[in-house]
Amino acid sequence: MASNPMQQFSVHKIGPEIKIAGIDLSFTNASLFMVISASIILLFLFFGSKEKKIIPNKIQLIAEMFYTFVAKMISDTAGSKAKPYFPFIFSLFMFVLFCNMVGMLPYSFTVTSHIIVTLIMALFIFIAVTIIGFVKHGFKYLSIFVPSGVPVVLLPLITIIEIISYLSRPVSLSVRLFANMMAGHTMLKVFGGFVISLGLLGGWLPLGFSVALTGLEILVAFLQAYVFAILTCIYLNDALNLHH
Amino acid sequence: MTIPEDFKTRLKIAKSKIKKQVQSDSEQKGSFMGGAFKLGTELVAAVAVGTIIGFILDNWFDTKPWFIIIFFFLGAAAGMLNVIRTASRMQKED
Repeated sequence: MASNPMQQFSVHKIGPEIKIAGIDLSFTNASLFMVISASIILLFLFFGSKEKKIIPNKIQLIAEMFYTFVAKMISDTAGSKAKPYFPFIFSLFMFVLFCNMVGMLPYSFTVTSHIIVTLIMALFIFIAVTIIGFVKHGFKYLSIFVPSGVPVVLLPLITIIEIISYLSRPVSLSVRLFANMMAGHTMLKVFGGFVISLGLLGGWLPLGFSVALTGLEILVAFLQAYVFAILTCIYLNDALNLHH
Repeated sequence: MTIPEDFKTRLKIAKSKIKKQVQSDSEQKGSFMGGAFKLGTELVAAVAVGTIIGFILDNWFDTKPWFIIIFFFLGAAAGMLNVIRTASRMQKED
């Protein structure tokens, strides 16, 4: 058994090769698992909202819990002005959460363990938030780079630092999610490999570790989706309520 | 008429209990793990972005080591700024 711990992240084509204008658009296992996660979300929310009972059944209860969780998160961090952006943040949270959770199943593929996926999401958020900021405040939005109460001598330096800090948002947002998912899954694979190589005598300890790590990974999967969504809210809050 | 008085005190006790519960819930929700994950990447990302900007400027103006050095330190400063902001935000939440 070839137990390369990084092999689980390899992307390969499923079905025929599709090329449009020189860009490879083939259907891969990554796209397959994105479709799977999205369909699970759709089915779950469809059945969760089908019977609108006053006393909810289990699936409706869970769907409503997700709704109130995200709604509370948005109103806590970004205020009432961010209400129109609820659908976007809700779908973002659900997509990241379900991609992470589907990735926890054996033989599956973790979409969010690829930096290209997380970076595209983070860049989309970054550009959208910047556009929202400029639309809401015009050129006054640039004042987030100029904190108040700074001596004039230090102002150019502080402005450059603020710009770097602003530009580092998509990087930290995407790297955090990608690194956590990739590190966790690699670690699980490495401990799984230990179980095999140490055999029946010594394999029990790493097996126990794998079990504990799986629990930890489920926590991390949820936590990272939460952090991703809450940071989106915080950035949105900066764009909507300009106060510096 | 002692019953309403009694009811009032009982209501008060019940309300304070709920308040306590809500408080402890929100304290738990301040998930320390998430905070710890946040801080590390926040610092590294700003340093990386600063260095990349320095590298690009060096390529533009052909001043090989200078901008990359300056922007490395500016990036480190921006990273610390990020960490301080995130930390103070986390404290405010609690």
